[in-house]
Amino acid sequence: MRGIRIWCFLALASLVVPALAAARQASTPDAPGPQAKAEVKADAAAKPPAVAQEAKTAAKPAAKKGEEKRAELIVPAYSDIRQRSAVIVFYVWLWFSIAVLIYFLRQWVKEADRVYKAKYYEPEESPRKGNPMAAGVGE
Amino acid sequence: MKIDVKTFVAWFKDRLALTPILKYMTKKEVPQHEHSFWYYTGSSILLFLFIQIITGIMLAFYYRPTLEGANASIARIMTELPLGWLVRSIHSWSATFMIAIVMVHMLAIMFTKSYRKPREVTWMTGMMLLVVSMVFGFTGYLLPWDDLSLSATKVGTNIPMAIPVVGKWVTQFLRGGDDVTGDTLTRFFLFHVCILPLVIFAILIVHILLVQKEGMSVPLKDEIAKKKVPALPFWPNFVLREVIIWLVLLGTVLTVSLAFAPSLGPSADLMAPAPEGVKPEWYFLFLFQTLKIFPANMGPVTGEFVAVVLIMIGIMAVFFLPFLDNKPETKKGKLVTYLCILGVIYAIVFSIWSLQ
Amino acid sequence: MRINNSYFTRRKFLNSILGGWLGAVVVSFISPIVKFVWPPYKEPDEVKLALADYSSMPPGEVKNFPWGAKPGLLKKAADGTFIAWVGVCTHLDCNVSWVPEKKQFYCACHVGWYDENGTNIIGPPPKPLRRLEASVEGEDLFVRKPGAGAKA
Repeated sequence: MRGIRIWCFLALASLVVPALAAARQASTPDAPGPQAKAEVKADAAAKPPAVAQEAKTAAKPAAKKGEEKRAELIVPAYSDIRQRSAVIVFYVWLWFSIAVLIYFLRQWVKEADRVYKAKYYEPEESPRKGNPMAAGVGE
Repeated sequence: MKIDVKTFVAWFKDRLALTPILKYMTKKEVPQHEHSFWYYTGSSILLFLFIQIITGIMLAFYYRPTLEGANASIARIMTELPLGWLVRSIHSWSATFMIAIVMVHMLAIMFTKSYRKPREVTWMTGMMLLVVSMVFGFTGYLLPWDDLSLSATKVGTNIPMAIPVVGKWVTQFLRGGDDVTGDTLTRFFLFHVCILPLVIFAILIVHILLVQKEGMSVPLKDEIAKKKVPALPFWPNFVLREVIIWLVLLGTVLTVSLAFAPSLGPSADLMAPAPEGVKPEWYFLFLFQTLKIFPANMGPVTGEFVAVVLIMIGIMAVFFLPFLDNKPETKKGKLVTYLCILGVIYAIVFSIWSLQ
Repeated sequence: MRINNSYFTRRKFLNSILGGWLGAVVVSFISPIVKFVWPPYKEPDEVKLALADYSSMPPGEVKNFPWGAKPGLLKKAADGTFIAWVGVCTHLDCNVSWVPEKKQFYCACHVGWYDENGTNIIGPPPKPLRRLEASVEGEDLFVRKPGAGAKA
């Protein structure tokens, strides 16, 4: 029963969080009007470049180099299709990794619960001697 | 003697008094009941605090807390440094997540009435932690030194002026003078990276030690019925479940940071008029709106003064809630619950209202 | 030959998969952090200077120019060409200065001397000053690392 609640909570959170993010994005004014130059990529679909694993350098700012006082907004945005797809790959890898890790963690949780319920006491010579997940009950 | 992990650990155990701590971790138990899901909120806050410390240190390597250098250094972080924009984005979003979970934590404690005896001091330290977290957010918000953050800080540091007697002094302390200047920026940076971390660690240690000493609370009706609630060992059962929650939260914050990275406006001009749409961070919105609805003059005092006094009464009421709600099982307890619900509705409604 | 029971249990196998994957995830988080924290500043491969600033130097004079964050030394040879060094002592990285009376470079930190060709002659410096290639191209004076990007 508890499990279902967690999934409901996660589903709700996965709806609430992007809504919050979109609201935050929408309510932040993009630039003080007269200073917005042509190079500003402030569209709502602006997405950031680069992938976490590689050493790709960072966002394209559209700021002129060597300018004393910057007049335009720096917006993290994609500069080519490669960056856009790299981010999608990262999302997939991230959530797939998390799913795999959670799968294993759930196995460990079930094991730990079973061990606790059975009040399993660790005999000295068992092959599980080095197991760090052995319950501390009765040790 | 075989060299393995156990020997290594035993070497440390012989010299540092780790054994009592480890024994406590294995013996500590977490009750399992219909509300035990909310136990995860506490450690989630610690996860985000940890993320903030790491990303904050990374940002602080390159940030320059001076009037001339602040905006430019963040521009440099975002454009020149590898994944600098992502580090800044994670820091910004993780701040939002942390304060959101702090509020969820507070509401969970509030509605399960876990602040009742003997956990009153835990509640009060928790309230102090909430305030410190929000001050963290406030001081951090100024650091990019762009138009929005400058205006928000001007408004925010003006509020204490309405407090009688000490108000002006408080504002001058916060601003480093009468106005928001480069000194304010440096001062806020010092608050943000040195003073507030020390304060939060001090209060956090007290809070966590108290939680361990008192044990985890059980729902009110179980306590009244003196029912023995089934429990899980903290290690490894509960910790493994916590790790699952942490993974999901970490994934969420990374996804949101990647997808909605914040932008950086041009460096603030102290002489320019306030830009459109000045507003503080979301956790201050309801307070902001409360200040706005009071008229400029109410009899002999300003509307702002009345608003500040009311807000302070509200904060005090929440701070001393365990003492106001000293008989939680009676009708008075139910009344307090309804008042709390009213308070939450007020906060949400006013926050949304202030965005219109 | 099939073994019915093994000491390498299914549990150990799954644990190592989990540990390995967790390790991979942690490393993938650590490496961007390390890249971020390690200083991104590199020495430039070439520097462009305005010839006008240096064309009026008499032969034998030495002037400074910016080589990234380090000082560079530019000397006009007798035949009118430019010689360039990185103006940093090879001992412990102090900035060196040109002493025109002695026609030598001097490092004040530990009293090291280099002759007019940058060779270390007196004191602790173990190597000569790092040479750079200077070439005049039209209106500009280019100073480059010797060889195609190869560090001296």
